[in-house]
Amino acid sequence: MRPLAIVASTLVNACGTGWGEFAAALRHGRSGLVANDFPPAREVATFIGRVRGLEDAPLSPRFARFDCRVNRLVQLALEQDGFTAAVAAARARLGARRIGVFVGTSTSGILDTELATRSALRAGAAPHLDAAFRTCRHSMMAPVRFIREALDLRGIAMTISTACSSSAKVFASAARAIDSGLCDAALVGGADSLALSTLHGFRSLELLSTEPCRPCDAARNGISIGEAAGFALLVPGVESAVRFTGSGESADAWHMSTPHPEGAGALRAMRAAIASAGIDARAVDYVNLHGTATIANDLSEDRAVCAALPHRPDVSSTKGWTGHALGAAGVTEALITAYALEQQWVPATLGCRTVDPRLGMRVAIGSRNARLVHALSNSFGFGGSNCSLLLSRTP
Amino acid sequence: MTPLHLEGIGVRADGLVDWISARAVLRGEIPFVPSSTARPSAAALPATERRRANDTARWALDAAGQAAAGLDAEELALLPTVFASADGDGEVLARMLHDLAGAPVALSPTTFHNSVFNAPSGYWSIAARAPAASTTLCADEASFAAGMLEAAAQADATGGPVLVVACDHAFPAASPIVTPARAAFACALRFAAASTGRVPIGRIEVVTVSQDEATPLPGPLAEAFDGNAAAAALPLLAAVAGGREATIRLPYLDGTSVTLRWVPCA
Repeated sequence: MRPLAIVASTLVNACGTGWGEFAAALRHGRSGLVANDFPPAREVATFIGRVRGLEDAPLSPRFARFDCRVNRLVQLALEQDGFTAAVAAARARLGARRIGVFVGTSTSGILDTELATRSALRAGAAPHLDAAFRTCRHSMMAPVRFIREALDLRGIAMTISTACSSSAKVFASAARAIDSGLCDAALVGGADSLALSTLHGFRSLELLSTEPCRPCDAARNGISIGEAAGFALLVPGVESAVRFTGSGESADAWHMSTPHPEGAGALRAMRAAIASAGIDARAVDYVNLHGTATIANDLSEDRAVCAALPHRPDVSSTKGWTGHALGAAGVTEALITAYALEQQWVPATLGCRTVDPRLGMRVAIGSRNARLVHALSNSFGFGGSNCSLLLSRTP
Repeated sequence: MTPLHLEGIGVRADGLVDWISARAVLRGEIPFVPSSTARPSAAALPATERRRANDTARWALDAAGQAAAGLDAEELALLPTVFASADGDGEVLARMLHDLAGAPVALSPTTFHNSVFNAPSGYWSIAARAPAASTTLCADEASFAAGMLEAAAQADATGGPVLVVACDHAFPAASPIVTPARAAFACALRFAAASTGRVPIGRIEVVTVSQDEATPLPGPLAEAFDGNAAAAALPLLAAVAGGREATIRLPYLDGTSVTLRWVPCA
């Protein structure tokens, strides 16, 4: 594929709002995970990555109809790191109709739907949410609608919702849309909020960790759910320190909620990403793992990484910082991977103390400086949806 | 953009049991009788998944299976898919919202994994034993057009085949979310790589996004399917059924439309 410059980016998650706070948390090894204190689901015994202050950060009155927890995450992200100004500059140069919007989410605004339903039913009333609630808060498109309004963008747009690979796959779709001439630049990213369905759903699957998640650790016992938003502005033909250079997608065709034991789908996605960038697998210097810290995921991903990259580059999972941001995990970790390339620095696998001896990958326990040119970021989701992104440092 | 070569079609909707019957209705050969159809059996799935599969997955698999009929196992495995839906599965959503309102909450693992928007894609890849890339997208009322744009961009990038599947259902009365769809509609369009050597049904040229108004749904079907985002495919399906060149405008965002040109092969 034609490389795309990452000309601006922004993120918000449990470790920080904007790059300044987030990079400090990365550098100091400060996890954002805390014992679950999310008021509507306090009874779920787990650790979460919660963004503080969202309850008191409504959308500006102009956008009140979009107000819901996921769009508050979106608004917070758009306000950081000069991102909105960078989009405005691109709009002035290219035109509002030529900038596409591609957002991944698994929850969209469902938390607000869940809470409205619960209060109606518990009050003995029939819950009924109107058409505006559906389109502006509940629909998978709610974040896209809000972003297009807030940033005055009128180009092509879509939401990808493929569970935990959602906001990785938007990079691939955006690159194809640019290559086909459907748009000249793309705002890509994702947002997912904490929700009753995800907290209770993962509990029902017995996949929630009772301590801060410990990816790749011999004693890992599940995921910590986080919430996050992150966005990047992708533009072809211009300079940036790190570029998006390849993507690979595949399906497991195996099970709805369990990864393929040999990581067959993950392997196909990684190989396709490497091939689409036109590099040799041995040139991959680092992998940001999907690394959820479930027993099954980390074993399955290990098989795929070992088969795709027999030269054993450094790998790490950064979910010990942010938690598993589900629909926003792909963009969060793609941006961490970009940071690693820019800083020539391998982040630790926070929470991992003793690597599971069954894993063959070279798991980075501590952070360290390293020469990095090409790096993969893996994202895998329910339904067997896999996506691997390749990012490269500009020589 | 490279034209899309249409090789297979499937339809499963209330009152339209398959593409053959939909084509006859669209040609005016038989009248449209609005009726709810039986729940598709999802026979292609292994027994466990067949028991668990949710409704939108069943309708989508039925349409996709028609469109993929005649492919051998290898072609099926290599067929990338694009699933498009405005609202996902209302039955699963309503059940999940009611379960989450209980005290204590009792949400089943199956309800939870069926609640992911890409459940039809996951079930399809299992049924078809298809490890090829699959995406699932939403663009509200523009979902079908967005799916066609994604498919066209994929075909441009790979030169290979792609299957588009669109599915939306009426939501049950117990759903707190109300959607405009009043009937179930699923359709699937399978596009071939240019080099198969087979003669396609015809080709679709994706022209552009314009300010023009969308083509209205074919008269007899409008009452049942207006408001169903997946049924936005009906004007295109009517053109295919009619067998003559046609320009179709699919509803897109902000009142715009995506213009498609349908050119049948003689």
